[in-house]
Amino acid sequence: MRIGTLKESYLADAALFDSRTQKAWLLVLAAALVLFPFFAGSYWLYLACLVAINVASASGLNILTGYTGLVSLGQAAFMGLGAYTVAVLEQRLGTPFLLNLLAGGVVAMLGGLVVGIPSLRVKGLYLAIVTIAASFIAHFLFANFQLTGGTAGLAVPPAEFFGVLLDTSFKLYWVIVPVTVLMLVGSANLFRTRIGRAFIAIRDRDISAEVLGIPLLRTKLLSFGLSSFYAGVAGGLWAYFFRVVTPESFPLSMSIFFLAAIIVGGMGTQLGAVLGAIFMTLVPEVLKLVVDVLPGGASLTVFLSPVRTIVFGLLIIGFLVFEPQGLAEVWRRIRRFFHLWPFRT
Amino acid sequence: MTDRTFTPSQYSARRRSLLIAAGATLAAPLAAHAQAGGEDIVIGGSIPMTGVFAFAGIGIDAGMKDYVKMVNDAGGIKGRKIRYVPEDTGYKVDVSVAAFKKITSQNKVNLYYGDSTGFAKTINPELDRNGNILMAGASFATELNDPKKYPHQFLVGPDYTEMFGILLNHIAKEKPGAKVAFVYSDSEFGRDPIDESEALAKKLGLSVPVKIMTPAGSVDVSTEVIKLRRAAPDYTIFHGYILAPIPEFITQGKQQGMKSKWMGTFWTMDSSTVMKMGEAGDGFMGVMPYRYYYDTEKAPMLEKIRALHADYQSTAYIQGFLAAMLFVESAKRTLDAGKPLTGDNLKAALNSIKDFDTGGLIGVPITISGNSIPVGRVYRADMKAQKMVPASDWIKL
Repeated sequence: MRIGTLKESYLADAALFDSRTQKAWLLVLAAALVLFPFFAGSYWLYLACLVAINVASASGLNILTGYTGLVSLGQAAFMGLGAYTVAVLEQRLGTPFLLNLLAGGVVAMLGGLVVGIPSLRVKGLYLAIVTIAASFIAHFLFANFQLTGGTAGLAVPPAEFFGVLLDTSFKLYWVIVPVTVLMLVGSANLFRTRIGRAFIAIRDRDISAEVLGIPLLRTKLLSFGLSSFYAGVAGGLWAYFFRVVTPESFPLSMSIFFLAAIIVGGMGTQLGAVLGAIFMTLVPEVLKLVVDVLPGGASLTVFLSPVRTIVFGLLIIGFLVFEPQGLAEVWRRIRRFFHLWPFRT
Repeated sequence: MTDRTFTPSQYSARRRSLLIAAGATLAAPLAAHAQAGGEDIVIGGSIPMTGVFAFAGIGIDAGMKDYVKMVNDAGGIKGRKIRYVPEDTGYKVDVSVAAFKKITSQNKVNLYYGDSTGFAKTINPELDRNGNILMAGASFATELNDPKKYPHQFLVGPDYTEMFGILLNHIAKEKPGAKVAFVYSDSEFGRDPIDESEALAKKLGLSVPVKIMTPAGSVDVSTEVIKLRRAAPDYTIFHGYILAPIPEFITQGKQQGMKSKWMGTFWTMDSSTVMKMGEAGDGFMGVMPYRYYYDTEKAPMLEKIRALHADYQSTAYIQGFLAAMLFVESAKRTLDAGKPLTGDNLKAALNSIKDFDTGGLIGVPITISGNSIPVGRVYRADMKAQKMVPASDWIKL
């Protein structure tokens, strides 16, 4: 049991992890992530990689929507920019995959900067429409450029790392998960800096932020840029993971998926983006497993599949109604409970 | 932030439900694993039972199930039972791949049914690496009809370009030198056969005065209809749609005095889809590689299906049924040759199929020398009888 955390310096106050217990659990989590591939089958490894990619992209959107308050429905299009950049570089130039990932992020970031320009004039739903328009433009470009392979898209050769072909979920796990962790650490640290706090100030009241001396356009664009950089890198990982990139790979519904993920997870918290992406990716799969173990479940797939979809929808609605702060708040509540365990509040 | 207090009983109720959920999550994969194994021949399936393609997925699933049951009731293949393991995909590629990984990690899969072109392309490297699976699916994409690039896959019918080929051959015979318009959706599905088919039309002495691409899911097509009317085609072939906006095109076209005959490809041609066109659909024609459920020509397998189901079964059902039949035939031929069930052996066995009788599901004996079955027939909608009736003989390319 602990009753509080004593902080004796500003540095300690700004620390990402403030207690020994937290650090110990982080070590356990890190060990679990390292050991996971050796025990998990290909199905769970596949899901782990998919979750990691979605976490990376959702945490990018969280920077923009959760922390800066700019609603975007263009995350999938930015992922597409990253994925196509990686596909073209890998296919045509064969450049090292880490460089390709970085290039994917940068190209998406440039796209994000362009799309972000109207954000000085419009916000809320209006900005959401601007980002939807941007994603339609991106889709048109993907489908009609020769470089992007038209509607048939591009096949992506497997990434190569020191002569090892990264062609299975097991091998890709060692790239995707560390990159995602790195991005999460980066994003967490961002909000310990002036820039991150400027984002939050803009979200809370942009006029006041400007009065405080925060340049609105530059900061909003920076947020757009960073968010789409995350999406671009996630898109690049996606391209290496699925090995085929087509204009239909990044539909508008995917952007809605990420927005839903950060809302369900809890907007404006690091943990929210992570938990939201995990929830949105895994719950449909877990529901499938639950359906499988129901008596006669496997043979009734055709009848139970729509039911499963409805349950998933109800779960999302349930979270929004009963826990508007998202999964992150549920998590915090569980933690608080264990802080005082075995005593009750 | 919301500030709420909870009574101890509320807390324990919450904790209990959390524990139950966690328990179910942990127990589910273990239980699923327990079902694995055995000497069964396994057909896995990424089947879209929900989502935009569910109308077809449900039929495909029923068709596969029925054929597998028929074979198992008759003793299986060489005493080995066939097990069909489907998973719903919602017609999403990432979910489809997850289904593939799940099914293949829990079962020794020999045959697999995929739900989309995207999935077929995405899973192809995995199929090659795995080496033990032969795959077919709901896609008729021309790109997949390449045994070199897709050595462990096949199409359960003609590819989209071949479907156009069948229609164009029929047109060239019915009205030499006819003008044929192509109307297609701006999608991979829609654009698939257009360029090659234009070249074929020219080769057959036909002309293509206009090609109209509409945005996927478009509803208002009045501008496009005017463009189409100006070209005054004798035939208009729609591709890349299921239903909308075809009825709108036909209704407006007829109102503007167009004399064109209207045609479609496989996914538009299910009886229930065409009948939804109402009056506009009378005389609508299209290519169909299989017989319809209610066809009166001699077809013992159709009779068996009709004995199983008194109500109409879709062409997607027939597609699933035939896919399962070809899967089983490939496995049977491989085992008869004393070979193990590997992807290469199964594909070689499939390609040894020559003048094979499908029990009348396809009206002529089929030969599968590559990745497709380039056979089909033109059917026409008879709205009075609410049926699709044959408008040509079976055409082999």
